[in-house]
Amino acid sequence: MFLAWKEMKKNKLRFTLITGVLMLVAFLVFFLSGLATGLQQLNREAVDKWDADAIVLTEESDKSLGLSSMTVQDHEGIDADETAILGQFSAIANNDDEKANISVFGINEDEFLMPEVTDGEKFTKENEVIAGDKLKEDGFAIGDTLSLSGTEAELTIVGFTDNARFHGSPVLYTDLDTFHRVKFGELAEQNSDRINGVVIRTDNVDAIETPEEIEVIGIDTFIENLPGYTEQNLTLNLMIYFLIVISAIIVAIFLYVLTVQKMSMFGVLKAQGISSRYLANSVIAQTFLISFIGVVIGFGLTLLTGAFLPSAVPVSFDMVTMIIYGLIFVVVAIMGAVFSVRTIVKIDPLQAIGG
Amino acid sequence: MAILQLDKVKKTYGAGHKKVEALKEIDFTAERGDFIAIIGPSGSGKSTFLTIIGGLLTPTSGEVIINNQTMTAMNEKNRSKLRLNEIGFILQASNLVPFLTVADQLRLLDKVKNNNMTKEQLEGLYKDLEIADLRAKYPADLSGGQRQRVAIAKALYSNPSIILADEPTASLDTNLAFEVTDILKRETKSKNTTTIVVTHDMRLINYFDKVYQMEDGVLAEYKEEVLGNE
Ligand SMILES: Nc1ncnc2c1ncn2[C@@H]1O[C@H](COP(=O)(O)OP(=O)(O)O)[C@@H](O)[C@H]1O
Ligand SMILES: [Mg+2]
Repeated sequence: MFLAWKEMKKNKLRFTLITGVLMLVAFLVFFLSGLATGLQQLNREAVDKWDADAIVLTEESDKSLGLSSMTVQDHEGIDADETAILGQFSAIANNDDEKANISVFGINEDEFLMPEVTDGEKFTKENEVIAGDKLKEDGFAIGDTLSLSGTEAELTIVGFTDNARFHGSPVLYTDLDTFHRVKFGELAEQNSDRINGVVIRTDNVDAIETPEEIEVIGIDTFIENLPGYTEQNLTLNLMIYFLIVISAIIVAIFLYVLTVQKMSMFGVLKAQGISSRYLANSVIAQTFLISFIGVVIGFGLTLLTGAFLPSAVPVSFDMVTMIIYGLIFVVVAIMGAVFSVRTIVKIDPLQAIGG
Repeated sequence: MAILQLDKVKKTYGAGHKKVEALKEIDFTAERGDFIAIIGPSGSGKSTFLTIIGGLLTPTSGEVIINNQTMTAMNEKNRSKLRLNEIGFILQASNLVPFLTVADQLRLLDKVKNNNMTKEQLEGLYKDLEIADLRAKYPADLSGGQRQRVAIAKALYSNPSIILADEPTASLDTNLAFEVTDILKRETKSKNTTTIVVTHDMRLINYFDKVYQMEDGVLAEYKEEVLGNE
């Protein structure tokens, strides 16, 4: 550490520059990870809120809630610990001033899909809905009357709930009767037992029994199959991994250039009896310091930026994920120092002595 | 018992028609307090000789015995330990660590060696070498002679029993070369160490107790007439 720190102190500019570069890359990594988490939440927030283990959908729907259609009778054929029926469709809500994409969830008030109300009241009468509080930011309020695209229905917001976005849109929770009337209009009578799926809480997903042509899907699988979800994650994660690798390459080149400049000095120190291990540790200590400082500043800068971003930018910082990326960043940077370490080990002290 | 003894030390570089016999069966001894010069033409084997004594190079055959320890029989780890504790190298002036102050050059040795000088001894050394006022300076701010005196301090600091110097005055002008050689001699005598200096510079040889000449890998005691006859 002595040698490492003294060198950094003497050559401040050089080491500040490389720390700055690493800080910017770390900032990008953290920001992208925030974006990835934010976009994920946009899609899955309402599903996470279920706190469920599985969902039952028709086989032909291929894991898509919107395309699955079954009957309440099918529900009765399911044998599991705790179940809740779910009807879903997407539409555009309009309160005369604002329009927004929404997703309607038709639920039973006495089942576990019923959300906690954070503002206002639960729905009690027909045509009343609890709305995801993202709609508040979009200019909707309690008491607003909503018309939904493609339907005759008029719904009233009576309350708001938090963490309620599904596949990018805020959710409107309502009772099954209202759901049927809104979704099927004049055909509501014939379709009064239609639902999209059944959400399940259980300790043993494998033990769930279902009628024919209906399949049990673990919640994680269900989320991964939300349209675009996996592709989006892969893209962002790939960018993050590339950035981390790039930072390691930057570190590797920087340290290697410094090491090559110091070859004869290392040779002399080795001839004087200072071990390769001590010299290699010094380079690793330097790598640790520059990458660690870079990561910490990048981390702070990311949080600072996040605080000033407009809410339309879907970033959400998950501390655990960010700390893991920070650690990976430092570890990979240290791996970038390996070339320099190898060079140091190979330096022959004889060359420093040679007359 | 001699502090340093070489028995039939031979060093061959390469093989086949590229084979170079750098040292040919050298026998050599040195006692504590000896101030020794090795002279000889370029390519005669002086550096090879010095680096074998320093344990940086293993001889092709023969034995090197330092302070009753047979270095040539040791494994690499023990050999570098011996090097660390018994041997001090003085190299070209430019070979100080550029980003360490004079004081830190020595403090670095505290990190890796443990039989270093006490604070009082170090103060004495600083005084002897006239570098006490330079301890906060970086090598770039020192003159050539000052740098070489710091290099000497580095070599002496860990109390070695043998000091090896390969052309320590090569980059210095005549006055400084005399001065540095004089300092080396004083330190050798006052600390009763053994110093072996490889040099080209014939004007320095009067400083030494013993002068050897290396020629084609053969070491012989130097006699004035040999050169005189050429
Ligand atoms: N690493 C090496 N490989 C091959 N030959 C070498 C090597 N080092 C030195 N030699 C040869 O050994 C001989 C002695 O070299 P050296 O000890 O450096 O002499 P000096 O220091 O007196 O100039 C020279 O002929 C030189 O070319
Ligand atoms: Mg030489």
